Amino acid sequence: MTSINRRTILRGAAATGALIAAPGLVRAQAPAIKIGILQPVTGALAQDGEYGRLGAEIALNEINAAGGIKSMGGARLQMVFGDARSNPEGGTSEVERMQGEGVAAIVGGFASPIVLASSQAASRYDIPYICDVGVSDQIVGRGLKNTFRFGPGFGNVTSTAIENLVKLNDAAGKAAKTVVIVHEDGLFGAGMAKLLQTQLPPRGFEILETIAHPTPSRDMSNVALRIRALNPDLVIPSSYYAEFVLLSRTMQQQRIRPKGIYAILNGAASNFRFVKEFPDAANLVMDCNHWADPRKPKTAQVKALAEQGGRFWLYNTPLNYSCVLLLADAIERAGSADRGKITEALAASTFSDHIMPYGPTKFVNGQNMGAAPVNTQVQNGDIKVIFPSEFADAKAVFPAV
Amino acid sequence: MSRQPYMPIALVVVGLALLPLGLTSNTVLNFLAFAMIITLAAQGWNILGGYGGQFSFGHAVFFGTGAYAMALLQVRFGINPWLALPLAMALGAGVGFAIGYLSFRARLRGSYFALVTLAFAEVFRISANAWGFTGGAAGVLVPLRIGAEHMQFADKRLAYWLALTFVAATLALTHALSRSRFGAHLVAVRENEEAARALGVDALAVKLKAITLSGAITASAGCLYTQKFLYLDANLAYGPWISVEALLAPIIGGLGTVFGPLVGAVVLLGLGEVTKTAFANLTGGAIPGVDLVVFGVLLILCVAYAPRGVLGLAQGWLGRLKGARP
Repeated sequence: MTSINRRTILRGAAATGALIAAPGLVRAQAPAIKIGILQPVTGALAQDGEYGRLGAEIALNEINAAGGIKSMGGARLQMVFGDARSNPEGGTSEVERMQGEGVAAIVGGFASPIVLASSQAASRYDIPYICDVGVSDQIVGRGLKNTFRFGPGFGNVTSTAIENLVKLNDAAGKAAKTVVIVHEDGLFGAGMAKLLQTQLPPRGFEILETIAHPTPSRDMSNVALRIRALNPDLVIPSSYYAEFVLLSRTMQQQRIRPKGIYAILNGAASNFRFVKEFPDAANLVMDCNHWADPRKPKTAQVKALAEQGGRFWLYNTPLNYSCVLLLADAIERAGSADRGKITEALAASTFSDHIMPYGPTKFVNGQNMGAAPVNTQVQNGDIKVIFPSEFADAKAVFPAV
Repeated sequence: MSRQPYMPIALVVVGLALLPLGLTSNTVLNFLAFAMIITLAAQGWNILGGYGGQFSFGHAVFFGTGAYAMALLQVRFGINPWLALPLAMALGAGVGFAIGYLSFRARLRGSYFALVTLAFAEVFRISANAWGFTGGAAGVLVPLRIGAEHMQFADKRLAYWLALTFVAATLALTHALSRSRFGAHLVAVRENEEAARALGVDALAVKLKAITLSGAITASAGCLYTQKFLYLDANLAYGPWISVEALLAPIIGGLGTVFGPLVGAVVLLGLGEVTKTAFANLTGGAIPGVDLVVFGVLLILCVAYAPRGVLGLAQGWLGRLKGARP
């Protein structure tokens, strides 16, 4: 019989110690630069937060594997992760903790309220803050020098969405005339509905009804039945993931088939989880949202890495991946982990090695002017780009019936 | 009975005021300031719920009114925050009086009163979410203007001390209240409203006074919240989270006691913070939310083994230490 004695334990402990210490020895060349990654990984937004973190991780691993920040003697980037808990307090308290740990910059936030509060908290310490998703136009409209948004804002996305909708409809011989708008009653859904109500009628669309629903909602049958009664050509939904999935499944069950479902900034229609789990309900749904550039060879690599272990490809991952690369480029050019220098380098950034369809970055008051959304459509289990036409990899199928 | 009844309050407040001199970490200061805001909201709840026995499930209505008033008076009317704060508190008191008048006059008690307050909070939340004046779903953003005259402090300690001043004032107020005729009436209403009325207590007036005071205090918590985060939307101001915090803290700390809300808020938030940090270090953030699970279990244990709150538990231990005498 073998028993565990003192020596075995000591041997085991020594081996474990060596294992833990080994990477430290390899890394000991230049002091690591701490990067704060802020995402909501608990609470209502946990799915988005997880995929955002994934993107940041992929980027950090890639940078470190390629030799770190060269202008600083190959300094590694070290992640300081913070869970924003899907609310602004959570985000702010994590910013305070990151400040305590001495991060050089912070990337993330996801939801607009979290970004608004945490970028403000970061501005008190002059920590450069790169917003990954938050679309509220207030984020970059406040004159905070430390805050940058790589992706497009709300105004930009909606005007692009309306423009492309008109193009799409004209190409189909004005197939759609009547519209029902379904939106969540929070920041982006309500704002978008208001904008659509003023923008669509002059462009020849008749809005039959605007239906608001709260987040979370666990039953969409009433909304679906109302849509059936109104029988619109087009349904324009703007909701978070779970509610839209519910709505589209209910519509499928009730055999409600409008000529098109044209989502704007929708949580589900640019999400491979939805496409894989409910292929029939998802088929031919269109969305105007953030999406990675399919032309760039690195997009496929990042997608392959992200999909390891049964995960899905969501826009959060390429956005956060690109934001971290953008930051690394700024640190490289600043040649320093000094926050002021990184902020300056970000403001002067012309970074183009990201995987979003934006071109080189150019920040005006913190907003990346080249940022633009993309129109996608779910086609036979895949998400295809249908607009802009320069890099569309499919033609829009519209009307769908 | 101590001859200097305010001595314990003074000691606790001085102790809390000295904390930032030793603990300079911003994380700790941030935590302390937030704990003081929750303490204020909870103290407001405690006066109505703990002393008066009227359990409100919708104290968010006062918190949110204070918070929104503070923000909108500054943003829409250009009023200085130091002036906006008393106005916002007065508005909170007014909303308290209105809700109290409507529900107490209709003789709503117990779970019915709880449900009505919950409904009011929801109505306010949905209205604030829809109304353009409150910024609708986009919320209100108070411009960042650091300076004591704008009640935005570069030094986090000042913000904490301001909140602590409010907490000290409400501690003293609650203590005075518990020893006053009004306080005695309030407790009498809590214990048996019919009996109290038979003895000549005007139950409606007593309850109205309590909810008005409660509204003002909880509104002050909302004001400080606005100045701390400078951003509000309907779910932050009127969402159920603050109703729950405001009633959990006194229940955990000790219902109807002067220090209950303070102890409860510090224990509740402290526990949350400690489990979060401990598990983040332990698992490296690999299992998100595991700290919340532990937090929930600790909360259940706390309620199961300390039904009279942390203060009740401490008193029990002290009594045992002194040796139970017949």
